[in-house]
Amino acid sequence: MNNIKEKLKALPPVSWMLLLIIAVFSLASPNYLSLSNFRNILIQATPLMIVAFAQTCIVLTQGTDLSLGAQVSFATVMIVYLAKKGVPLFAGMIVAVLLTVLIGSVNGIIVAKGHILPFIATYGMQNIVNSVSLLLTSGSSIYYASNVYRFAAESTFLFIPVMVWIAALVFVMVWVVLRKTKFGTNIVGLGGNREALSLAGISPARNLIKTYAFAGFIAGIAGVVTLCRVESGQPTVASGWEFQAVAATLLGGTSLREGKGGVTGTIFGVLLITIVKNGLNIVGVRSVYQNAIIGSIVLVAILIDAVIKIRSKE
Amino acid sequence: MSKFIEEIKRSKSFYSLIGLIGLIIISSIIAPNFRTINNMITILRQASVLLILSSGLTAVLLTGSMDLSVGATAGFIGCICAKLIKSGVPIPIAFIIGIITGAVVGFINGTLAGILPSFIATYATNWVMSGLAIIVMNGAVIYDLPKNFTKLGVGYIGPIPVLVIIAAVIVVILYILLQKTTYGRQVYAYGSNAEAAKYSGMPIKKIMKSTFMICSICAGIAGMIITARLNAADAAMGEAYGLQTVAAVVIGGTSMLGGEGGVGGTVIGALILTIIVNVMNLKGVSSFAQPMVVGIVIIAMVLFDINSKRKKQFD
Amino acid sequence: MGKTILTAQNITKVFPGMKALDNVDFDLQAGEVHILVGENGAGKSTLAKVILGAYKQDEGDVFFEGERLTLSGTKDALAKGIVAVYQEFTLVPYLNVAQNIFLNREHKTKLGFIDHKKMEEEAKALLKSLNCEYINVKSPVKKLSVAEQQMVEIAKALSYRPRVIIFDEPTSALSDREAESLFSQILKLKKEGIGIVYVSHRMEEFPKIGDRITVLRDGKKIATIGINDCTNEELVNMMVGRDVSQVYVRTQNDHSGEALRTENLSDYSGKVKNASIVVNKGEIVGIAGLVGAGRTELAQLIYGINPIKSGKVYVNGNEVEVKSPVNAKKHGIGLVSEDRKKQGLALGESIALNTVSVSLKKIFPRFFMNKKKIYETAKQNVEQLRIATTSIHKPCKFLSGGNQQKVVLAKWLNFDPQILIFDEPTRGIDVGAKMEIYKLMDQLAAMGKAIIMISSELPEVIGMSDRIYVMHEGKIVDECKRGEFTTEQIGSKMLGIGVGGTKNE
Repeated sequence: MNNIKEKLKALPPVSWMLLLIIAVFSLASPNYLSLSNFRNILIQATPLMIVAFAQTCIVLTQGTDLSLGAQVSFATVMIVYLAKKGVPLFAGMIVAVLLTVLIGSVNGIIVAKGHILPFIATYGMQNIVNSVSLLLTSGSSIYYASNVYRFAAESTFLFIPVMVWIAALVFVMVWVVLRKTKFGTNIVGLGGNREALSLAGISPARNLIKTYAFAGFIAGIAGVVTLCRVESGQPTVASGWEFQAVAATLLGGTSLREGKGGVTGTIFGVLLITIVKNGLNIVGVRSVYQNAIIGSIVLVAILIDAVIKIRSKE
Repeated sequence: MSKFIEEIKRSKSFYSLIGLIGLIIISSIIAPNFRTINNMITILRQASVLLILSSGLTAVLLTGSMDLSVGATAGFIGCICAKLIKSGVPIPIAFIIGIITGAVVGFINGTLAGILPSFIATYATNWVMSGLAIIVMNGAVIYDLPKNFTKLGVGYIGPIPVLVIIAAVIVVILYILLQKTTYGRQVYAYGSNAEAAKYSGMPIKKIMKSTFMICSICAGIAGMIITARLNAADAAMGEAYGLQTVAAVVIGGTSMLGGEGGVGGTVIGALILTIIVNVMNLKGVSSFAQPMVVGIVIIAMVLFDINSKRKKQFD
Repeated sequence: MGKTILTAQNITKVFPGMKALDNVDFDLQAGEVHILVGENGAGKSTLAKVILGAYKQDEGDVFFEGERLTLSGTKDALAKGIVAVYQEFTLVPYLNVAQNIFLNREHKTKLGFIDHKKMEEEAKALLKSLNCEYINVKSPVKKLSVAEQQMVEIAKALSYRPRVIIFDEPTSALSDREAESLFSQILKLKKEGIGIVYVSHRMEEFPKIGDRITVLRDGKKIATIGINDCTNEELVNMMVGRDVSQVYVRTQNDHSGEALRTENLSDYSGKVKNASIVVNKGEIVGIAGLVGAGRTELAQLIYGINPIKSGKVYVNGNEVEVKSPVNAKKHGIGLVSEDRKKQGLALGESIALNTVSVSLKKIFPRFFMNKKKIYETAKQNVEQLRIATTSIHKPCKFLSGGNQQKVVLAKWLNFDPQILIFDEPTRGIDVGAKMEIYKLMDQLAAMGKAIIMISSELPEVIGMSDRIYVMHEGKIVDECKRGEFTTEQIGSKMLGIGVGGTKNE
């Protein structure tokens, strides 16, 4: 019994806010509390969820990767572009993911060997990757029809959409890496005390590069999933996601400073953002007001989280 | 004179200056019409909004904080101003309201930054501000503003655009404020070590809040200038400027960690970004490829800047 | 004891602009504690780093168990069994104890994943051998106390099954009680035949654990002697190179006129309870106590860093409110804080800019500022206080501890406060600089200033103070005048012995 109590206490404050918001929406609209809506929420959340897992790994190393959104968009563009040139869809997906790994590695090299702040290095990369996407599509969306998209987006396995299973698998992968591998321990070490790693004989540079490459890998997967949802290659589909991913990560209890936190909390952060977006639509709030409301709720959630942390320290 | 050169060498924007000079030389070579007076004035005019935004942001970065809301704040205040003028409010009053709004936004940002990491606080306020801009405009666009207003954006005093003069005035004011006053010294000291600043008896909360207020007021001015220039206002007009402004400040040698850099460097950074785009336009580079060049230059400049400084340290 | 396991011969190490080590010999026997002592910048840390493989020497050889050592990094040294326990902790805050101990040597299951259970079991065993089984191996290291973290560091070192352990200033963050427990661990390690190099300048510790002492000065080895073969005075003479029999010099001052008085001060965290003290003009008042007794917290109340829960503060007889350091400065109160790197200086900024950070409004009352005047002020400070630097534009992070502290003092001298609190003013500072600081404090008192000196070094407190207050668990438990106090009396009051019926209850 005590174990359960401890685990409940360890949940980030945002999880309680989540329950509150769900309650508010269910009261506001009869359509809210339905299985099909929850399935919708999960599907809507999936692409951002996967990207957020990538960002969480980067935040753990005290960095932020601003190129993740661009990488996701790039992946959608690349797959369709190759498909139109005759490359089978699945092969195209593999190529796209390999490319995002490459992009991630370059990010890592610039940050590790160039000694520049991740913010600026990845912002530069964001521009570069976006350019490539724009050039490949001449600025608009490109299309290639396929049944694969529907399979991922709509068919279910045990009542849960395939997409959501993919997100779950990515979660398990990242969780296992962080908790049960040397690489994961090193990621936490990069954020917590880089000197300690060097003194123990671990190369911070090599592990930084690996971390960004890992994030690129995950972003590539997010791109594949996004393609299945929007059924086209869009050069700006994921723009801004990297920031939402940071917000979700922080809401989930991961800290920008010390290598504290993990992907479990990030789930709650992404759910909060998605549930608010979804709820506002269901309840019928005019789209004109949505941005301001979502932004405010995220702000309030982060504030509450911060204040609780400050109180508990005193 | 030699003391002046020494101070420049010591300044954190030395390498950015070298970068700028290099860029100008390269540009003159690859684009024959680069070095015309007309083009120079064009560059200054195109740089003006970015100069105003980034000078204000410099104050925030100097304290080691971040303000991701400059773009949306500029858009929001520009829209408010346009709406006010359109509904008959006298231009100077609309202007003052714009500045006061900027101060309020900055005060809120500054207060939040005391509780949350500024990065995430201003990201959230950016979201909220862009939403407020949409609400204020109700999805519509405003155009056809009175000539007395738009001449701020497109008018000339002699050969120089009014726009450029406004930007220059703001840059000079901020330069003096940050470099030549005790307030500025406190900003730098706070950025170098906030706790030591507290123990030295500096009013740290005031310093924080005031830098954010300066930044948002500049964003407001920039927003109103954008509106004057475009002779139109729409909710999303400030969006593109958000990260660009940060890039301009960082390329200029101001450190995101605080305590290093200044408005002088930011001017260099803003000019570098503007010149790159200008040259690409002169050479007819597709607008799809332009971000790539910008991204490469940003990375290259910061690499050069930081690694040159590191080498210097070990001497 | 007896068998030599490590020998360093003719070690020379040169850095740009200075010779850190000049032909130094050093040897270590199994089962001995060999103390390495010297002023800041004498070369102790450099020698330790050469032995550890973190630096490569320019000349000379190191022999370990007969073999010549060629180390290309700390990893090699670890593999050979040479480990270090550093001053600044090398722990990752949000990894747990077991993960920290086995960093880069994690146990793996058959599938290749980390075997947390095995690591935790072994970690428990290591902690048990150090009598620290109460530390939870699953706890993130961040949640442990400083002393517990130190124990984890030692457990980590032991997990390499070392033959040589180098301790670098290990007690600087520990209370006396925790230090004693460290010493008993060290004695245990001695018995197991491990050779221990102990870098420190806390002389009162040496007789408790040391066998031999090597004195370094300016990169050269001055002497290697047995622990009982010289007095403290002779030791200090060797370290400093001059006769320091007159370390604590005090002039007789007129102590009339109350400068500062606190009445029943308490803070919100409970670290200060009803503290009442008086400091007169021209006096140096010492505040003694254990780490955690509340002395720094009391200083923080007086200087306005922390809010006062109850009680009053009087300056020159008038009640004042100190809500913040800005306030405190207005009343002429200043604080030379405990942590000069984090609180006293902006390390990335130059000496010149640091020296004016407290007195900006005083030097430039009219908002506008010019660098020329700052540079002039700084040049005067450097001359006055003999700060060792080639330029006032040098960033403070490149200065030695003693010179850094001098910059902090310069900063406060420029402000000219009437009440100045010193919190551990000579911590981590070489003997030469210490003496200069004592002289300065005496000069300030002679000028009529009221000085409070918080210190954990009893010789210093007793040597410098006109009166001493002793704090224990937040309360003032004793007050005595110069000439009336002894080490035993103060020491026992610090521990809370005989505390019943104290002055302020």
